[in-house]
Amino acid sequence: MSRIYRIALLVLTIIIVLSLFGCAKNDLSNSEEKYSIKVIVKNRSHAFWSVVQMGAETAAREFNIDLVFDGPENEEDIDGQIQLVEDAIAIDSDAIVLAASDYVRLVPVAEKAIASGIPVIVIDSTIESDKMDSFVGTDNMDAGKKVGESLIDKVGTECTIAVISFVKGAASATQRETGFAETVSDYPGVEVIETVYCNSDELLAQQLTKDIVQDNPQIDAIVCLNAYSTAGAARGIDELGLAGEIIIIGFDSTPLEITFLEKGVIQSLIVQNPFNMGYLGVKYALDSINNKKIPKNVNTGSEVIDIDNMYLPENQKLLFPFTE
Amino acid sequence: MKSKLKRILKKVPKAARRGFRINSIQSIITLSFSAVTMLAMTMVGIGLYSSFSDNAEVNAASSAQQIMEQATINLENYLEDMMEISDIIRKNMREVTPNSIQNLDNLLSLTLEMRKDIVTVAIYTGNGNVILTNPVYDTDYNYQIHEQEWFKQTISNPDMYLIQPPYVQRLFEGRRPWVVSMSSGLSVEYLGRTETWAAMVDLNFSLIEQLCNRVSLGKRGYIYIVDEYGNIIYHPQQQLLYSGLKQESISEVLEQEQGSFIEDFQGESRISTVKNIQFSNWKMVGISYVDELAENQWDLNNYIMYILIFGIVFVILASIFLSSKISKPIKRLEHQMNRVEQGDFDIENLEVKGEDEVKRLTKAFNLMISRIKQLMEQIVNEQEEKRKSEFKALQAQINPHFLYNTLDSIIWMNENQNHQGVSEMTAALAKFFRISISKGNEIIDVADEIEHVGNYLLIQKIRYKNKFDYSIDVQEQAYGYRTLKLILQPIVENAIYHGINKIQEKGEINIRAVVENDHLLFSVTDNGYGIKPERLKEIFKREPTNKRTSGVGLKNVHERIQLSYGSGFGVDIESIIEVGTTVNIRIPLIKLQKGENNE
Repeated sequence: MSRIYRIALLVLTIIIVLSLFGCAKNDLSNSEEKYSIKVIVKNRSHAFWSVVQMGAETAAREFNIDLVFDGPENEEDIDGQIQLVEDAIAIDSDAIVLAASDYVRLVPVAEKAIASGIPVIVIDSTIESDKMDSFVGTDNMDAGKKVGESLIDKVGTECTIAVISFVKGAASATQRETGFAETVSDYPGVEVIETVYCNSDELLAQQLTKDIVQDNPQIDAIVCLNAYSTAGAARGIDELGLAGEIIIIGFDSTPLEITFLEKGVIQSLIVQNPFNMGYLGVKYALDSINNKKIPKNVNTGSEVIDIDNMYLPENQKLLFPFTE
Repeated sequence: MKSKLKRILKKVPKAARRGFRINSIQSIITLSFSAVTMLAMTMVGIGLYSSFSDNAEVNAASSAQQIMEQATINLENYLEDMMEISDIIRKNMREVTPNSIQNLDNLLSLTLEMRKDIVTVAIYTGNGNVILTNPVYDTDYNYQIHEQEWFKQTISNPDMYLIQPPYVQRLFEGRRPWVVSMSSGLSVEYLGRTETWAAMVDLNFSLIEQLCNRVSLGKRGYIYIVDEYGNIIYHPQQQLLYSGLKQESISEVLEQEQGSFIEDFQGESRISTVKNIQFSNWKMVGISYVDELAENQWDLNNYIMYILIFGIVFVILASIFLSSKISKPIKRLEHQMNRVEQGDFDIENLEVKGEDEVKRLTKAFNLMISRIKQLMEQIVNEQEEKRKSEFKALQAQINPHFLYNTLDSIIWMNENQNHQGVSEMTAALAKFFRISISKGNEIIDVADEIEHVGNYLLIQKIRYKNKFDYSIDVQEQAYGYRTLKLILQPIVENAIYHGINKIQEKGEINIRAVVENDHLLFSVTDNGYGIKPERLKEIFKREPTNKRTSGVGLKNVHERIQLSYGSGFGVDIESIIEVGTTVNIRIPLIKLQKGENNE
């Protein structure tokens, strides 16, 4: 008889133990690992990248991520950026979000990171590789086309212009140039006298602008393909006292550019969405760590902003990131 | 190890069969008790669960409302504070002099020094000219106050407090803060004329954010504020909403008056609680997630589950214990009864313990067993007595008759001067009786039994004037054993009276004693008339009568042997009419004890 007790007791004990295990398991599942994600941009200090940083930090707060935001002192320091990526690999970051300063030269180190199991999300400027997990940024061809359309809108179909691009070889520069050229090619009346590169140096852009205007007094408009060239051109034109006479079609929305837009030095800006690049870059990096499916290519969009529409509620939100 | 396991495994079904016989009292009690309790507990559990879970969402909604009640009051107080600032401006600007402006400016400086949530206070004339801004920065002349929609509304509705949704302030060059703006009209006396001016208080989000963040709606829950047109006033992730990376179900909120509703939002079920904010067209919306509730729910489920499991385990154990306590004495009783059933009455009295009923049953059983034992002993004794008296009666029956005949023969021989015969016969008779008596022992040596039958045959041969011959063959080995006494004489007597006596020719009686396997075999063979088969069948059945008929002796011997040694032994008869009869007697081997050998 006592054997039956033992069997019964055994069975009951097993039931209890199993149910306790079920409970314990449930409790354990709540703890989460905190991932470390490194965001490497083209440079640390510029307003555009500050907004990227805001987006990245917003995502880091929301998803409880250890965020390291870094970049070289200036955009030409490609070796410096490569070194930063190497550093991230060395400390075994969980993921890297990269805005590549060079379309080609960042490829080996980015692929090295991917090969060592670190997901790489590229934002803003892509690299010549299809191995990276995702690209989050402006469709630069499209943005380039918008520059062209805005130029036609502000200046007309008959004009003489110059283009101030930024870094020769950077993917975003090349794509914007191509997009712009495509639009302009529809208008034979538009004469592009020169395309110059300011190497993302505002002072150089300012100097280039003055040189262009001096060499080509008949010029109607200057097309700038990033924030540095836009700000430099605006300063140059403002100094020359030619505000409103020589039209500036620019890129991005730093406070300085907005001031020049309000003053009428700049007539039109193609505004990207750096906040979304930072936010989505980090968010997809996390998704990639967690092996979730992420889109290969995300277009964060671009808008044409001028003095008339800049304070429309929707454009306010784009131009002036809401700091929390 | 393996074999041990096998053994246990073999035992399990056996034990299970024994233990869980559906009809046993124990299993009936255990099963019914457990079933009833489990049913009850399960029903209680389900009841508890459903009452809790029914309440859970209602509770969550109402607690969210309560939590938000406070936030609402705080926000309303805040708005009231802001209106108060407007009121102070109104009061101070009733009569506008450079002095009054200076005083107001000082007052505002002091206020703004204390309140970090106020970005700018400004006063404009009806044309949009700046009277005062605090703090002061480079005015942005691109910004045309009188063209702004809020300004027009304020001037045309001076008694209203107009609250604008967040926008980028553009009053000053290079400064583009996001603000919530509250404006109101003021009626002023300026240069002898009554004019309508506008006062504007721009707020940043620090205090609103604080008010909203102070409220806890679970781990992921939050509060946001929206105006009646669906403009987001405040949201903890405002820029994400502005960037289109997040959405809120604003149209549902706008349809909602006050209160809570459950919505399925981006695949998640959540509770939205809407509160209207006085003094404004704002609505405060609290979001709490149902799956956080569900986590609590899950905890509750577990809790109830564990209580149930432990309860059921306890009940099963308790009922097993109880039922075994009840059924154990009954089982013990059953076990004893089984032994009795198999004929074993040599059992001790059961211990009287357990419940009243079982005690009484045990007592009755004990009483019954002792009564049965008593009765059986009585019967055995009686039977023994009966057998003894029968035996004695038989002995008493034989002897006088035989004695009379023998004495008659002796007298007859004496008259014929046969002195030799007289002395032989008398000696034989003496020996015969000596062995018959043999100190009253029931068991005698085989030699004595043979001598006894030999004396008897001698006497009878003389009496029957040599009408028969006899021979006695005893295997040497047979002398080593003992036998029940007086078993051969009745058979021989039978052979003479009913066999030899009925034939004309000379009779032959042969007595043999041999050891066969496990028993001693005596056989008495005669060539007499024989016994008819129908009689043969009846010999052992016949009731003893006073009338001396053939077979009485046979039956007597048979019964005595069987009484002494059991049914494996006894007498059997082979007989052929007019050929003769052989009577075989089988008894067990009883070894002769030393010292008794030559008595």
